[in-house]
Amino acid sequence: MNLIPGIGIVRGMSLTLRRFFQPKVTIRYPEVPSDVAVKFRGRLQLLYDENGSLKCETCFQCAQACPIECIDMGGMDTKGRFHVHWGAAETYGERREESALRRSGRPVPDPAYERFAPIDIAAVDSILEDFDHDPAQLLGILEATQAAFDYLPVGALKRISERTGTGYAQIYGTASFYGHLRLGALGAPAAAPSAAPYLAALAAATGAAGRQADA
Amino acid sequence: MTVMSRAWGRLTLPGKVIFTAIPLLLAVGVALALVVGILGGPIVELASQYGAVLRFLVAATIILVITIPTAFLIIFMEMKIIAFMNLRVGPDRVGPWGTLLSVVHGLKVLVKEDFTPSGADPLIFTLAPVVVYGSSVMTLVVLPFAPGLFAQDFNIGLLYFFAMGGLAVVGLLMAGWSSFNKYSLLGGLRSAAQMVSYEIPLTLSVAGLLLLAGTMSVNQLVANQSGWFTNWYVFQQPLGFVIFFIAVTAEANRTPFDLTEADSEIVAGFATEYSGMRFGFFFFAEYVNVFIVSAMTVALFFGGWNAPFPFPALAILLDPGSLGIWLLLGIAIVPLVGTLLLSLPFLLTRSSMPAWQAIVLGFVLFNVVVIGLLGVWAFVSFDWVAGLLWFLAKTYVFVFTFVWMRATLPRVRIDQLMGFAWKWLMPAALLNLFVTAGAILVVGR
Repeated sequence: MNLIPGIGIVRGMSLTLRRFFQPKVTIRYPEVPSDVAVKFRGRLQLLYDENGSLKCETCFQCAQACPIECIDMGGMDTKGRFHVHWGAAETYGERREESALRRSGRPVPDPAYERFAPIDIAAVDSILEDFDHDPAQLLGILEATQAAFDYLPVGALKRISERTGTGYAQIYGTASFYGHLRLGALGAPAAAPSAAPYLAALAAATGAAGRQADA
Repeated sequence: MTVMSRAWGRLTLPGKVIFTAIPLLLAVGVALALVVGILGGPIVELASQYGAVLRFLVAATIILVITIPTAFLIIFMEMKIIAFMNLRVGPDRVGPWGTLLSVVHGLKVLVKEDFTPSGADPLIFTLAPVVVYGSSVMTLVVLPFAPGLFAQDFNIGLLYFFAMGGLAVVGLLMAGWSSFNKYSLLGGLRSAAQMVSYEIPLTLSVAGLLLLAGTMSVNQLVANQSGWFTNWYVFQQPLGFVIFFIAVTAEANRTPFDLTEADSEIVAGFATEYSGMRFGFFFFAEYVNVFIVSAMTVALFFGGWNAPFPFPALAILLDPGSLGIWLLLGIAIVPLVGTLLLSLPFLLTRSSMPAWQAIVLGFVLFNVVVIGLLGVWAFVSFDWVAGLLWFLAKTYVFVFTFVWMRATLPRVRIDQLMGFAWKWLMPAALLNLFVTAGAILVVGR
C-alpha cells in the first residue's frame, strides 16, 4: 500500500476532506452556553504539578468568585510565612483531614499553629466608621488598623472584608502588596507560626507524604 | 488642522500622490459624465468610431476592479475552509459568517505604516509589487469568462499568458534586490529559480494540447471543447493536466511549493522588508494568481464556460412586447398579489405575528422569489450568463482544491522542489508531448 507513489497525498487529502464535513469542536461560549446538566454542581480539586507540589498559590480568587460561597480554603501565603484563610475555620482543608483522623480513632497531631487570635473588633469598627466603610479608601483603613494593632491581624482583615463588602482576597492582596503593612507582629517573624511540623505530622499520620511535599 | 497636517506629513510620497489623485479623478469623472450627458450624440459617434480603444479601456478597468472582490473572496475561502478542515469554526465575527474579515484585513494593511528601509532603492522597491500584481492582472486579459465575455482574443493567447506569468519573476527579483537585505535577495533569487524551472514543464505540458487543438487562442481552445464533457481535453491529455496542475501550483506559489514566501517562517523571502499596502499587493497578487491559474486550468482542460452536457433547449423565450396592455397590468398587479400570497401562510398560521410583519415578510419572500426567477430566466435565455456561471463554478472548484491542498500538504524542501521539476516533471512533459505527437501521426487526429 505504501509503495504506491502519491498514496500519502491521497490519504491526507481524504482526511482533510472528511474533517471538512465533521462537526466543529470550537465552543462559542458567550453566545452558545455549554450544555450542563441541571443538577451539575462540579467538583473542586486542587492540582499538583509534575514535582508533586500544589499548583494553588492561595490567591483566593476562586473563593472570592464563588457565588454561593461554597469554596473555603486555608494555606500558607506564597512565602510560607503566614496562614491565610477563607471561609469558616472548621472547613479548612487541613481541618477536614484532621477531623477525619479524629473520627477514625487514630492519633491526631497537634497543630503547630494557632488559629487567628481573637481581637477587639470594636477598634476596627470605629476605624471603619471613620472611613465611612468606603472600600475605595482601603489603604487608609489598613494603615489605621495597623496603627491600632501594630500589625494587621487576620481577624481585623476579615472584619474589614465583612463590613466594607470587599473581597477578602483583595484586602489580603492589598495588605501583602505594600511593604509598610505587616501581616505579623513586628519583631516576631521567627515566631510566626509554621505549618511544616504540623503538616509533616499529619502526613505521617495519613500516609500521604507525596501530596504534601511542598508545604 | 494640526491633526490633518501631521497625518499629511506622515504620508509617503506615493501616498501623497494617491490622496491628491483620488479627488482629482473623482472630479474628472463627474465632469466627463456631465459632458457625456449634456452633449450625448457626438460623443457616442466618437466612441463607436474608436470602439476598440473604448473596449480596451472598459475591459482594463473591469479586469482591475474584479480582482478586488475575487481576492477578498479567495482569502475568505482560505481562512474558512482551512479552519473547517482543522475542525475550527474560522472567521465568524465580521459580517455574515465572517465574510467581511478579508475586507477588514485589507483595511488593516492599508492603514499600516508603509516602510522603506534606508539604503533601499525607493523606485524599484515601490515598483516591485506593482510589477508582480500587474503581471497577474495582465494574464486576465486572455481569460474567456463566457461566450463574448473576454477582454481580448489573441491568436497567441496562451503564449501571452505564459509570458505575462513569467513577468512576475522580474517583480520578485526587483523586490529582493531593492530591499537592501541579503536575505531578501536570497529569497528573491530562490523564488526566481523556482518559477523559472517550473515554467519549462508548464509550457511543455500544454504543448501536447496545442498539437491536438491546432490553435493558441484560449477562446478557440474553449470552443473546441463544447458538447459533452467527454470532449474536454483532460480526457485526451490526462498526464498533461497533472503536469500542468503541479507546475501551475508552483507558479502561483501555493502549498506545497510556497517556499518563495513561506508564510509560517520568520524571514518572508523577497517580502521581508515590505510592509503596509506594498506587502498587501504581493498577497493580493498571490490570491489573484490562484484565481487565474484555476481559471486557466478550467479553460484549457475542463471545457471553460461549456456546460458538461448540452442542455436541451428549454428556453421559453417570452417576448414582453407581445403581451401588450397585459404587461402594464401585470407590472401593476403581480407584486401586490405575490406579496399577499406569500404573506398568507404567516397571516393564517402565526397568530402571534402582527399583520404588518407578515406582509413585510411576504414582500421580502416575493423579492427573493423574483430574483431567483430572474436568475433562472437569465441563465436560460442568455448564453453568457450560463457560461459565466459554469466557468466560475468550475474555477472555484479548483480554487477549493488549492486551498484544500494548502490545508493538507507540508512544504517541500528547495532541493526536492528543483529535483522534482527537472527530474520528473520535465521528462514526463516531454513524454506527453512525444506520445501525443505520435498518436496524432498514427491516428491522424
